[in-house]
Amino acid sequence: MDLTPRPSEPAKKPRKWLPIILLSLVGVGGVVIVTQFLRSAIDYYCNVDEIGIRSGCEEATRLRVQGTVEENSLQKIGGKTSFVMTFNNKSINVVYSGDPGGVFQECISVVAHGRMIDDTFESNRIEVKHSNEYAEKNADRIESSGSAACSQAQG
Amino acid sequence: MSQVLQHSLPTGTRATRVIGATAILVMAWVVVSGLLLTPQDVVQGESVRIMYVHVPSAWIAYLAFIFTAVASASWLISKKHSMGFDRFAGASAEVGVMFMAITLVTGSLWGRLTWGEFWQWDPRLTTTAFLFVTYIGYLAVRRLEGSVEQRARRSAVVAMLAVLEIPLVHFSVVIWRSLHQGATVLNPSGDVKMDDLMLFTLFSGVVGFTLVFIWLVLHRQRTMLLVDIANNQGLDSAIVARRAEGSANK
Repeated sequence: MDLTPRPSEPAKKPRKWLPIILLSLVGVGGVVIVTQFLRSAIDYYCNVDEIGIRSGCEEATRLRVQGTVEENSLQKIGGKTSFVMTFNNKSINVVYSGDPGGVFQECISVVAHGRMIDDTFESNRIEVKHSNEYAEKNADRIESSGSAACSQAQG
Repeated sequence: MSQVLQHSLPTGTRATRVIGATAILVMAWVVVSGLLLTPQDVVQGESVRIMYVHVPSAWIAYLAFIFTAVASASWLISKKHSMGFDRFAGASAEVGVMFMAITLVTGSLWGRLTWGEFWQWDPRLTTTAFLFVTYIGYLAVRRLEGSVEQRARRSAVVAMLAVLEIPLVHFSVVIWRSLHQGATVLNPSGDVKMDDLMLFTLFSGVVGFTLVFIWLVLHRQRTMLLVDIANNQGLDSAIVARRAEGSANK
């Protein structure tokens, strides 16, 4: 049997570019996530009582501030929503340009994005921070207290 | 390759059929209970129902990536370097990436309804995005050129490094200040504050998704085996053809 190599060159298999391209994109994506987002994610917000005290929570800068919407403080006038936000017995007045909508209500934790201007926090974005508690909606309890979150907070 | 696939046994066995049928039953219960029987949440209302898919899919993604790391370590440690470990690692990572994608999509929908935003670069979401991208990278590494042994070795190293991200993702809400809520079930205090039927449905979802995961991994690793056999058979066929050619020229 003749098993000597054939004279003709075997056809070269084309290089598989898709995994290489995908791996490059993954590398770029990973670097972008770490450099652009992870740093700001670690210090996502300042608590109300840290404004002007903690490093990175300076009043002159744009802030993300976390606190609880105080009961009986919520007012909606002229397309603006105002409320008192509290954390660790420290409160600030917040004015939001619009209606936060969704599950925003009194006694719920929120993160407000904005700036401190003359002792009022002027916000243009509100994010509701949900707790890790889940309870059945009880119509009677809600009607008696006015806010589901206040009802849950009171137990 | 098609010849091999045509003459091979199907990827299903009696065990996978039992697992598949059980998964269908459990998932049917999760759908009925999640959509019809469980109550609305006092704050979230109807959107709480997303939790019955979001949380189990996140847990199963973690499980899949841990399983990938264990199978990879087994391949590296074992003297025989059985390719079965490598195929299980690859199959589990593929299914894990699918469950991670489901986690991100359902979480994004829930975020829009609760936070008011589809996405925020908070610690949990940022680390989860990084984990997702890492495992897409793992799958790309598996498709690089080289022998099956090279594939197994490269991907095993990546899998054992990538799995270290899971504790970071899970504890990101504890270590850092996160918009995402802390763990309800696996919280450090052990005090689970959840309605009983909601909790039971959530656990049913975990059981159902686990069965789906096992079923998918078993089928996928068998299709990977068939592909490896087909690739090896290509070489065997070439040798047989050459021998036949040699015999004819005698």
